[in-house]
Amino acid sequence: MPDDPFESQALSFLDALYRTALRMTRSESDAEDLVQETYIRAFRFRDQFTPGTNLKAWLFRILTNTFINQYRRRAARPNETELDDVEESILYRQMRDVNPGAASPDPEAALLDGTLSSEVKEALEALPEKFRTTVLLDVEGFSYKEIAELLDIPIGTVMSRLHRGRRFLQKRLYDHARERGIVAARAMPRPAD
Amino acid sequence: MEDDLDCGDCLERLYAYLDRELAPKESSAVRTHLDECVGCEDNFAVEERFLKLVRDCCTEDVAPNELRNRIVTRLRTEGGAPR
Repeated sequence: MPDDPFESQALSFLDALYRTALRMTRSESDAEDLVQETYIRAFRFRDQFTPGTNLKAWLFRILTNTFINQYRRRAARPNETELDDVEESILYRQMRDVNPGAASPDPEAALLDGTLSSEVKEALEALPEKFRTTVLLDVEGFSYKEIAELLDIPIGTVMSRLHRGRRFLQKRLYDHARERGIVAARAMPRPAD
Repeated sequence: MEDDLDCGDCLERLYAYLDRELAPKESSAVRTHLDECVGCEDNFAVEERFLKLVRDCCTEDVAPNELRNRIVTRLRTEGGAPR
């Protein structure tokens, strides 16, 4: 059915599903398998989709459910279920703590300008799964309410995971920047004990 | 009540504001504070750039053409018909 509108609409979300699957599975081949399985399920159960509702959200729900059921165990890494040790200080505070009166008048800009795409992706893939999935759905443009419905969690949990996940990413990117000398390494900010 | 937010009030609403999740009146109150407070304005701008960096980096990948072709082929041979 080359002119099947459901098929063409569903395939318009292929790139979004693939890049999300890539970050979820951390593997190109697993991401391809996950996305293919998502489409096969979507077409198998297409009569359960209500035309006029959010097809992108419906497909992402299938993607996340399939990932949880089939790929989570393989993609999991040890000790990655919580973010207990993430500093609560946020980016600009961290920068000010470490760079008081430093040569660069705008250390945040230096960090953000100097960060490589590969470092952002690496940081995302280092996020524990439940935080990573929430951040990825946000990146794809879903609202708090939509993410809550997709993952069957309260909106407050979505907000908390986004908050903590972003803090983790910032700390990771900041540490990379220090290692590469993009920001001064005068002091290492530590969380207050 | 929401017309007079202080820096702490704004910080609490930082991501909800940048994610466009605040109600219009509350969002407007944050905007009013940012217009009057250089410190908060700077902080929000840095966070906004950070979110854009993450979004831009994460949305640059595209699916391989081979995957698209493989999916279309499978859908049309075995998965395309509704149950």
